[in-house]
Amino acid sequence: MPSWIEINGLQKSMDDFQLGPISLAIEPGTITALVGNNGSGKSTLLKLVMNLANADAGSIEVFGKPVDGKDESWKRKLAFQPQKIIGWDAYTGTTLKKMISSFYEKWDEALFERIVRLFDIPLDKRFGKLSEGMQQKLSLALALPRNTDVLILDEPTAFLDIPSKRYFMDLLIDWMEAEERAIIIASHQTDDLRKLADYLFVMREGKAIGHYEKETLLESYRRYWLDETPDGSVPGEVSRDRQRIVSADPAAAEHYFAVENIRIIDHAALDLEEIIDMLLK
Amino acid sequence: MLPIRLSKESREPIYHQIEKQLKALIAGGHLTAGTPLPSIRALSKDLEISVITIRRAYQDLEAQGFIETAHGKGTYVAEIKDVLKQEVKTASVSESFERAIETARSYDYSDEEMTAIFHAILEKRKKGE
Repeated sequence: MPSWIEINGLQKSMDDFQLGPISLAIEPGTITALVGNNGSGKSTLLKLVMNLANADAGSIEVFGKPVDGKDESWKRKLAFQPQKIIGWDAYTGTTLKKMISSFYEKWDEALFERIVRLFDIPLDKRFGKLSEGMQQKLSLALALPRNTDVLILDEPTAFLDIPSKRYFMDLLIDWMEAEERAIIIASHQTDDLRKLADYLFVMREGKAIGHYEKETLLESYRRYWLDETPDGSVPGEVSRDRQRIVSADPAAAEHYFAVENIRIIDHAALDLEEIIDMLLK
Repeated sequence: MLPIRLSKESREPIYHQIEKQLKALIAGGHLTAGTPLPSIRALSKDLEISVITIRRAYQDLEAQGFIETAHGKGTYVAEIKDVLKQEVKTASVSESFERAIETARSYDYSDEEMTAIFHAILEKRKKGE
């Protein structure tokens, strides 16, 4: 399948921060989560994709068009919800909807109204007067109905309460079902990652740590409870607490235990949170 | 929502666990022919598994004739032959026995001791009924 977004060798330096080199491809029909601590470069990467900042090196192509080229038709195929939206504060939801919906041919008014009702969003209040959670709800209500091919969300659930997060996920799932689409979501929320992500792109201090399919990542780690503490280091060993060992190479670790005559009392996969914590350390 | 339970402890790949449990639901008559299955994305969210893995399981099940995809209408349980149903049931029972035997072996039980336990359980169940 040809990728919709292709990032190759992307680099950008700002003050004392260096992003990249980053290479990443986004395929249709998938949800990719950008995972990393604060300051890992997720937001910068998203801004570069939206051509809101200039890269020092490398390239970004969206639907085959370089984002910094003359042809800007690709912009209609992407909807971007930044963490902090600049320039909306003075407008009410009703005004914002009028402005945005006129740009997008496929604007889905019924979906907009459904989201407004679902979250009970007051459309007559100025954006700047809304709580952070309500701002996120309104932003989503203004993003999804654009019916673009790609949706790019930067920490969209940070200020949502638990029931709203659940609605939010259902909305995204429904949105993905309708047509061949793709979502890129930068998120700290492990629930978003577990329920939504197909791929995880993990970043640390501007560098790409890895691009993983969710189950492949989960299956690549295993925790063992052993009947004795191994003398040497176990293949793929990432942590050890007496007889409890985590290995990032389960096949080799199990071979080692067999050769060393160490009995495995129990074993289990790790949680996604634990794996991410280890990758980000 | 489908009663699928994935095991973190198992070494069996996730797509295989999904396939096996769906087959068991179909062969056991819990999902009858024509029953619509959740979309790949919806099942992905419910099970917290990527669409890549769910798609793989659905493709395998379709290739083996358990499910059918009607373009634009989603995925349905297919009409399957009794022979195939029987095969799935036998495979599922065999697997449970295999696991029990593995546990017994890890405690160094002999075949005779295992058989004795097996018969004792059957006896107990008979009395219980």
